[in-house]
Amino acid sequence: MTLALHRRNFLALGAAAAATVATGRSALAATPLTMQAAWINDAEFTGYFVAMDNGYYAAEGLDLTYLPGGPDVIPEASLVAGKADLALTTPDTTVKAIVEQGAKFKIIGTQYQKNPIGIVSLASKPIKTPQDLVGKTLAVPPVNVISVEAMLKLNKIDKAQVNIVPYAYDPTPLIKGEIDASLDFTTNVPYTIKQAGPEATSFLLYDFGFTIFNDTVVVSEDTLKAKRKELVSWLRASRKGWDENFKDPNAYPPKFADTWFKGTGRTVENEVFFNNAQKPLMEAATGIFSMSDEAIDKNIAALSEVGIKATKDMFDTSLLAEV
Amino acid sequence: MTLRAGWLRNLVILLALWELLGRLHLVASGALPAPSVILLKLWADRADYPPHVLATLEASILGFLVGNAIAIAAGVLFVLSPVALRLARGVNIAIFALPPIAISPVLVLTLSGMTPRVVLAALGCYFTTMTATVLGLTQADARSLDVVRAYGGGRWSMMRLVQLRSALPSMLGGLRIAAPNAVLGAILAEFGGGGRFGLGTYLLGSLGRADPPRLWGIGLTATLIAGLAYAAFAILGNHIAGASRAVTIPAAAPSLPGRHSRLASILLALAAIALPLVLWWLLLKGLGVPEMIARTPAGIIDYLFLADSAGSAQSRLLAALAETLPITLAGLLAGLAFAFMLALLVDVAPALGRSLMPVALVTQTMPLVALTPLLVLLLGRGTAVTLWITISVTFFPSFVTIAQGIMMVPRPALEVPRAYGAGKLKELRLVAIPASLPYLFAALRLAVPRALLGVMIAEWLATGKGLGNLLNQSRGYLDYGMIWTVAVVAVLIAVVFHQVVIFTERRVLPRLGMTTVE
Repeated sequence: MTLALHRRNFLALGAAAAATVATGRSALAATPLTMQAAWINDAEFTGYFVAMDNGYYAAEGLDLTYLPGGPDVIPEASLVAGKADLALTTPDTTVKAIVEQGAKFKIIGTQYQKNPIGIVSLASKPIKTPQDLVGKTLAVPPVNVISVEAMLKLNKIDKAQVNIVPYAYDPTPLIKGEIDASLDFTTNVPYTIKQAGPEATSFLLYDFGFTIFNDTVVVSEDTLKAKRKELVSWLRASRKGWDENFKDPNAYPPKFADTWFKGTGRTVENEVFFNNAQKPLMEAATGIFSMSDEAIDKNIAALSEVGIKATKDMFDTSLLAEV
Repeated sequence: MTLRAGWLRNLVILLALWELLGRLHLVASGALPAPSVILLKLWADRADYPPHVLATLEASILGFLVGNAIAIAAGVLFVLSPVALRLARGVNIAIFALPPIAISPVLVLTLSGMTPRVVLAALGCYFTTMTATVLGLTQADARSLDVVRAYGGGRWSMMRLVQLRSALPSMLGGLRIAAPNAVLGAILAEFGGGGRFGLGTYLLGSLGRADPPRLWGIGLTATLIAGLAYAAFAILGNHIAGASRAVTIPAAAPSLPGRHSRLASILLALAAIALPLVLWWLLLKGLGVPEMIARTPAGIIDYLFLADSAGSAQSRLLAALAETLPITLAGLLAGLAFAFMLALLVDVAPALGRSLMPVALVTQTMPLVALTPLLVLLLGRGTAVTLWITISVTFFPSFVTIAQGIMMVPRPALEVPRAYGAGKLKELRLVAIPASLPYLFAALRLAVPRALLGVMIAEWLATGKGLGNLLNQSRGYLDYGMIWTVAVVAVLIAVVFHQVVIFTERRVLPRLGMTTVE
């Protein structure tokens, strides 16, 4: 076989070389990194989609593989199984796994400063405070039951006074009046319900004492040792993606309608609403993903109410310092 | 009136009734949408479907190919070597009895990508095809075999020239039942499997949309795929074998007569029990499953009895069993009782039976996972929904089995009471009911794993109780010891239950001068 360099190949090679020069980082041998998201592709992950589509990870020398989550994906399980290098998790289950199962995890950042999880109810039968829950039926996903019990305890309500039933992320029973309230993302579900007809109202568990993060960035201790540089790069590129997204929360979701959001069956208006609603819950003075000492203390205090013994060394802020 | 016209008329009446109920929001304030609304929604969502359908098809087809290839090879091996069949008895029964949902999380944890879906689909095919192959091969015409033998043909020539050919109709019958099983397996492994596409993923993702027409659309699409797969093999079977076979599912692991000493028999039985455990251990070692996830048989004993947390694990497991087992039994017995009564009714009024058979076919092919959210919409999330799911999954296969038993009552046996002037009811009591007993046992063997699967799916998706919920919740807490324990306990319960039925059957039937049916 002769070594004939086709013109188109030559042009592509030139373009690649130019790109390498332009970014100033080596794109020749991009390091593979896999992230496990916490949910299906929706506005909750817009920042990562922006960073991927705009080439922020590639510019950092990362070849990122993005694994979507879903109602049945346990993000931490992907770390344990070696399917992902980092995962976005719920801190209560992560810390519980560290304490009770001996999982070797570290939390290296947090997407949400305030957990968007809250109590959603219909505006016609509003539940505005934990006290309103007394005597009512509340649907809660099985793994979140501990969070709700903690919130009730913090507000001095006996959990026996609230009828907690399992919840499968389906607002139909709420709309039909079969249940009075459900535990879900307040950034999203009130709008979904509105699109189905009735107005909804909600409050955050965070505002009633259950002061935890959400979508915490979690890695295994081994990965932290072996891929520290890549993880810092990931934090930097992801932060850039989120900053770009929040310049105008209405801008990016419509662009992803036929790519990232395809096949989820949700409207783009819903994602735009979500993207706007999550902005105040994510922003931090020291940048997206920040974990201040004060915020970490609040997490530890809230988790101890549920009997989960979190400690400060489970949170590693040293990577953020390098971003 | 022809049979076909009867089906069509009943279908039209059913659809019209459904449309009316849906239009008027008569059922669960709109949770049962009219068929026209569902079709419009399907059309509106048409862009969503192709990747989901393709992913489910890919896993089902791959699983179907792999599972059946192994099943046919195993069937041939078992016929050639009865010792191999006795050795594999434990594995065969375990595969028959295991509720797929119980091992789905374990597969998802230990394998990656499409593999868990393919494996679960393959497992769904193995038993029916393997049994059909063994039955077909052993029922070959002895005279044809003698001809080959007389001309100096060996074991393999006999297999190739006679047995495989004569087994073809039976094997095609097995493949027909395996096809919808492959679809169910592929969808079940999407639960907890991650990934963006697949009908199961779409269904789970759509649970949060407050959109019953979409859920029905997905459910009906899954049913259609399973139904088409079934129909394709039924047509192929009719074409090749030239005869239609009854809608039966094998409900017992095959066994062939062998001549062994008492000691050899005991050793073989022990080896048969040990083999599943050895395979389990080898798979874990071979796959290099991470230590935190993997549990060997010894690891489970440690988790449940020796570790510090053993007490807590035991109490959680027992509490879950106390919730799951009573409702499984209740649903099983109610499903069988309904099936028995309907089978008798059909014997009295045969036209009813003809119009019910299509419904039986649909519910047998409808993936259980697709059915569950629909029933939840109709019935809510209490014990009622678990009970109805269990009844509905055990009812139709039992009905089909029992109804066929009653149909096969020899005419002369019926003519005796008739000649003595007995009415239809007396005839039933004296002949049909006793004669259907072997089929009632066969139906029970078939219904046990299905009942457990139905209850666990309902618990996982809807009620948040029992073993299904413990499995789901333990995944969230990364409590891998419990996930393995629940999988093993669920399989053990199904196997023990199955063996108890067989034991009882072997005591009861011979006393009545009857034999068991496969």
